[in-house]
Amino acid sequence: MEPDVSIETSSMIRIAVLPIGDVPPSLLRDYHSMLLRHHTIPLSTISSFYTEHQKSPFAHQPWDAGSLRFKFMLGGAPPSPWEDFQSHRKILAVIGICHCPSSPDLDLVSDQFNAACKGYSSALVERCFAFWPSDSQLEDGKKRENLVLFPPSDRSTQEFHLQTMMQDIAASLLMEFEKWVLKAESAGTILKTPLDSQATLSSEEVIKAKKRRLARAQKTIGDYCLLAGSPVDANAHYSTALELARLTADFFWYAGALEGSVCAILVDRMGQKDVSIEDEVRYRYNSVIVHYRKSFIQDNAQRVSPLTFELEAILKLARFLCRRELAKEVVELLTNAADGAKSLIDASDRLILYVEVARLFGTLGYQRKAAFFSRQVAQLYLQQENRLAAISAMQVLAMTTKAYRVQSRVSASRHSLSNETESGHADSGKMHHQSVVSLFESQWSTLQMVVLREILLSAVRAGDPLAAWSAAARLLRSYYPLITPAGQNGLASALTNSAERLPSGTRCADPALPFIRLYSFPLHPSQMDIVKRNPGREDWWAGSAPSGPFIYTPFSKGEPNDNNKQDLVWVVGEPIQVLVELANPCGFDLRVDSIYLSVQSGNFDSFPLSVDLPPNSSQVITLSGIPTSVGPVVIPGCTVHCFGVITEHLFRDVDNLLLGATQGLVLSDPFRCCGSPRLRNVSVPNISVVPPLPLLVSQVVGGDGAIVLYEGEIRDVWIKLANAGTVPVEQAHISLSGKNQDSVISIAYETLKSALPLKPGSEVTIPVTLKAWRLGSGETDATAGKSASGSMVRNVKDGNSPSLLIHYAGIFWPVGDLETNKSSVPPGRRLVVPLQVCVMQGLSFVKARLLSMEIPAHVGESLSSLANGDGNPLDEAVGYGQRDRLVKIDPFRGSWGLRFLELELSNPTDVVFEISVSVQLEKSSNEENLSVNCAAEYGYPKTRIDRDYFARVLIPLEHFKLPFLDDSIFSKDLQSDGYTGSRNPSFSERNTKAELNASIKNLISRIKVRWQSGRNSSGELNIKDAIQAALQSSVMDVLLPDPLTFGFRLARNGYGSPGKLDVKESDTSIQASASKNTVIAHDMTPMEVLVRNNTKETIKMNLSVTCRDVAGKNCVEGTKATVLWAGVLSGITMEVPPLEEIKHCFSLYFLVPGEYTLVAAAVIDDANDVLRARAKSDLPDEPIFCRGPPFHVRVHGNA
Amino acid sequence: MATTACFIIVSRNDIPIYEAEVGSAAKREDAAQLHQFVLHAALDIVQDLAWTTSAMFLKAIDRFNDLVILLNPLYLPGSRIASSHFDTKVRALARKYL
Repeated sequence: MEPDVSIETSSMIRIAVLPIGDVPPSLLRDYHSMLLRHHTIPLSTISSFYTEHQKSPFAHQPWDAGSLRFKFMLGGAPPSPWEDFQSHRKILAVIGICHCPSSPDLDLVSDQFNAACKGYSSALVERCFAFWPSDSQLEDGKKRENLVLFPPSDRSTQEFHLQTMMQDIAASLLMEFEKWVLKAESAGTILKTPLDSQATLSSEEVIKAKKRRLARAQKTIGDYCLLAGSPVDANAHYSTALELARLTADFFWYAGALEGSVCAILVDRMGQKDVSIEDEVRYRYNSVIVHYRKSFIQDNAQRVSPLTFELEAILKLARFLCRRELAKEVVELLTNAADGAKSLIDASDRLILYVEVARLFGTLGYQRKAAFFSRQVAQLYLQQENRLAAISAMQVLAMTTKAYRVQSRVSASRHSLSNETESGHADSGKMHHQSVVSLFESQWSTLQMVVLREILLSAVRAGDPLAAWSAAARLLRSYYPLITPAGQNGLASALTNSAERLPSGTRCADPALPFIRLYSFPLHPSQMDIVKRNPGREDWWAGSAPSGPFIYTPFSKGEPNDNNKQDLVWVVGEPIQVLVELANPCGFDLRVDSIYLSVQSGNFDSFPLSVDLPPNSSQVITLSGIPTSVGPVVIPGCTVHCFGVITEHLFRDVDNLLLGATQGLVLSDPFRCCGSPRLRNVSVPNISVVPPLPLLVSQVVGGDGAIVLYEGEIRDVWIKLANAGTVPVEQAHISLSGKNQDSVISIAYETLKSALPLKPGSEVTIPVTLKAWRLGSGETDATAGKSASGSMVRNVKDGNSPSLLIHYAGIFWPVGDLETNKSSVPPGRRLVVPLQVCVMQGLSFVKARLLSMEIPAHVGESLSSLANGDGNPLDEAVGYGQRDRLVKIDPFRGSWGLRFLELELSNPTDVVFEISVSVQLEKSSNEENLSVNCAAEYGYPKTRIDRDYFARVLIPLEHFKLPFLDDSIFSKDLQSDGYTGSRNPSFSERNTKAELNASIKNLISRIKVRWQSGRNSSGELNIKDAIQAALQSSVMDVLLPDPLTFGFRLARNGYGSPGKLDVKESDTSIQASASKNTVIAHDMTPMEVLVRNNTKETIKMNLSVTCRDVAGKNCVEGTKATVLWAGVLSGITMEVPPLEEIKHCFSLYFLVPGEYTLVAAAVIDDANDVLRARAKSDLPDEPIFCRGPPFHVRVHGNA
Repeated sequence: MATTACFIIVSRNDIPIYEAEVGSAAKREDAAQLHQFVLHAALDIVQDLAWTTSAMFLKAIDRFNDLVILLNPLYLPGSRIASSHFDTKVRALARKYL
């Protein structure tokens, strides 16, 4: 059988093309391709070379439209035993090809050519074409038969020359055909085929043979007519031959003639196909097939069989009909042909048959059928067990890989390209699902594995290590779950063995192991966050999140929610990392010699890594690299050097594989079977590289460990910032984030500002003042934060510490360029400096309470100085606080308004604390005057608290009583009717509970309890709440004035009417004048008792004054009275107008020097509700009793 | 002659969702592969035929050597049929006809 046959083959003249001398293969191919263009020579072009010697037997030769057709047999062909039967099987011409530069001796060439031609006895024309002769060869005028020199020239000239020579050959052949036909018609020839009996013929058979001879001659003449391009002549001879052959029952020749006649029809119609011709061809060829079958003779079936002709005829018909519309018919023909294969004797015939069947199925668009027969071909090749056959097998199998979807990635990409350009009608329906099902997994795994195994086998046999490696890689990668560990080991060693035969650094398109998937793109550590700059704003970082949302990067933590559209910014020269996960699902140790990120964009240097993967294991590794230039970075996968070959592993492929695994289309998820948890699909973010940026590195001076502080401790820490980048920092701004931001009391912004621009390599130290927060609240906050967001791992780790956010940037483009360079504004950066503060429990507050204390005042005559005032008792006199640092009890006022706040503290720590209390003094409770009044601080001696001890600290509180008693204090509804005095009229209206609370707060804020421990620790105790709690319970007592206040003074100096005297507690700024206050025994001492009404109602009362001695005995009454008196001391009825005071004069005569105490008391008549409320009296009839503070009188002896 | 039937149900996209080899002949691995190869190749014809006829039983549509393919294109969407019950049923049915 012959490959590539068609009906028209019968009209082709076979020309052997033989290399003469030494012709390099590439040149031979080149010369051959030049010849191939001249496969058809129109008759019209050869007339100049043609001379009609006798009358041409080709009477109907179509000189205007006909042509001769050549079939060039490169390397020649052995003579066929069927030459007589079909003349087109003869080699009718020989063309030698000589490359002169490698064959200098033209005589030798000529001899070689003649010798070569000896093998082709049927050849009618012989020519040897010698290309590129040298000058000497050209000048060698010796005429050599059949040697044609092609002088050196350009290609077109050579081709023209060649065309002429081919026309000459065509003309010569035509003339030879005429001669042959004339001879055959006259003399008659004996034409035999191997089918004819070799035995001596019986007489009857001789007669029969004679009859047959005529038919055979006519058939052969028809063949020559066909070859001569004269189909009409051919048809005439064929018709005769058919008649004769039928008569002699020469079925074989009958079929042959019929085949020739079909060819003649087609040549006559010159390729036109219409339905009638098609039907004719189909009809005749079916007859051809039937007659070839009929000519089967049992007795010589072992030796020779017409079966090949029958099969060839079937294939010719199939090729003729091979159209999609006739697929059913063609399939039937091809199936019949394939059935014939098992009857073929010659294995190579079977090979050719399968090749042809496969080709025709392929043409029909039946790729799977084509693949099936291709595989049969490959198996036949493999049976031959030689290298060339193995190469053929490998190539044939490679063609089947598409249908079986085990394509090598090289051919796959090539196919997809060609598919795009030509949308084949056959492919459109069948191949679209390749996109649906991943390329290497369509679950015909048995087939796929067999095919790949056969490719591997043939590649090994063919000595193609790369193809073997590729097949083994595909087999192992796609079908490892179906391969036993022993088989996997075998494949691994096949890979290694193949690699040994390959030069190092060989690349293969098909990856083997391991499986590689993207694990994550870690964002910059918070120290390197990149922030887009908003060029229009001073605070350029505002409104643009850093490269990851917030400080915490859910992207690297594996949160699937917000990784859709990640933009990643890398900086030239700064190393980056990408995490990938490798899996080795096979049962052997996998050594990855090197793996690195494969970057197509070319602006990235990857650092290779080598990994060892134990059997059935997966591993997450960090691949790193450095961006080298600005632009986008594309990372499609990794480059892997494993099993001695370099391969590209694309993330996308593995993603598809994993997707397939979830849909059940793929055998197994390699990562899952290695025990790796299911991972979300990590998409490759858009990565862009920006020019170098400054890079600040922070360091807390004194170590990066946590700063341990006691609650309330205040401490300075120094943060050293160094520019580790290559670009100076031009701008920087510090802000705070995180919890407990108020624990950062101050940041030295100016220090940072003044250090700008911070050159690369230089550093600046910024002091930051911290104040430790209270533990209790912080702890509860931490737990709340934890439950709110699981991703805030870092936050939990950092606890409740605040962080410094330093936004900084390099050079900013000039404003003028903003419009044009908006997109190219280099981003800024953000440095997060977590202040790792660890707060320890320090002093703890146990309780607070208010203590009152009575220290009697001295009676003197100094009160008069107050009377100089403008009558506004609220206005302060000169503040004494400015002169004295310590609280002093005014000897003439006593301690009546003084309260002590007692704080009880415990020290559970193991260090000693010292407490100091300071009270900031404001000499007005009137907020409106705050700005006018200066404040002062009181310092108190330090209190020491040893470890594990409790201590109490007393804080004196004074000067904070309200100016008068008002019903509005008790009830908001009882607004006082418009009292207008010299005071601020709005005051009374504002005097509400809110005012009260405000003043409490005001008071508390003025008290500061500072502590110190050791040399370094100092802080402030937060006691606000404690004091508030303590005050709240006794707020009335502390803040509200009594309804009446009493005062005593000496009236001796005869200040006529001292006018109003304010003895209100909040206004005890009395200038003491000791010299005037001496009381001498045995002297009548005139005195005054002053009663002030602090309410807005007139109060009627019954006043009485008592005097007691040191022992507390009443010394003005009774028998042993030591003090004599004049005036009224008891039962004094008084009526005091609102907010006024009244004095009552009396005189005392002290008999004995010493200390005496004067006390005024009054029973209020008809007390109103306000007074009752103030006195906390429940019964409406209960008398309200008011008692003044004790006043001391020191009585001196007569000195 | 011992007969063997290789029964395969193919879903869309030519994915085999069920395979069963039934019959009396001794099982040979290479034969099983050949059966699959033949069946796979026959899909080309099934695909064409399925468009031209509404009949579910397509009769003998392809053959290779002595292997004959009787195809019934059940277009069952879904993945591989793994039910052992189904497997048993198929084998029982096959016994009836072989």
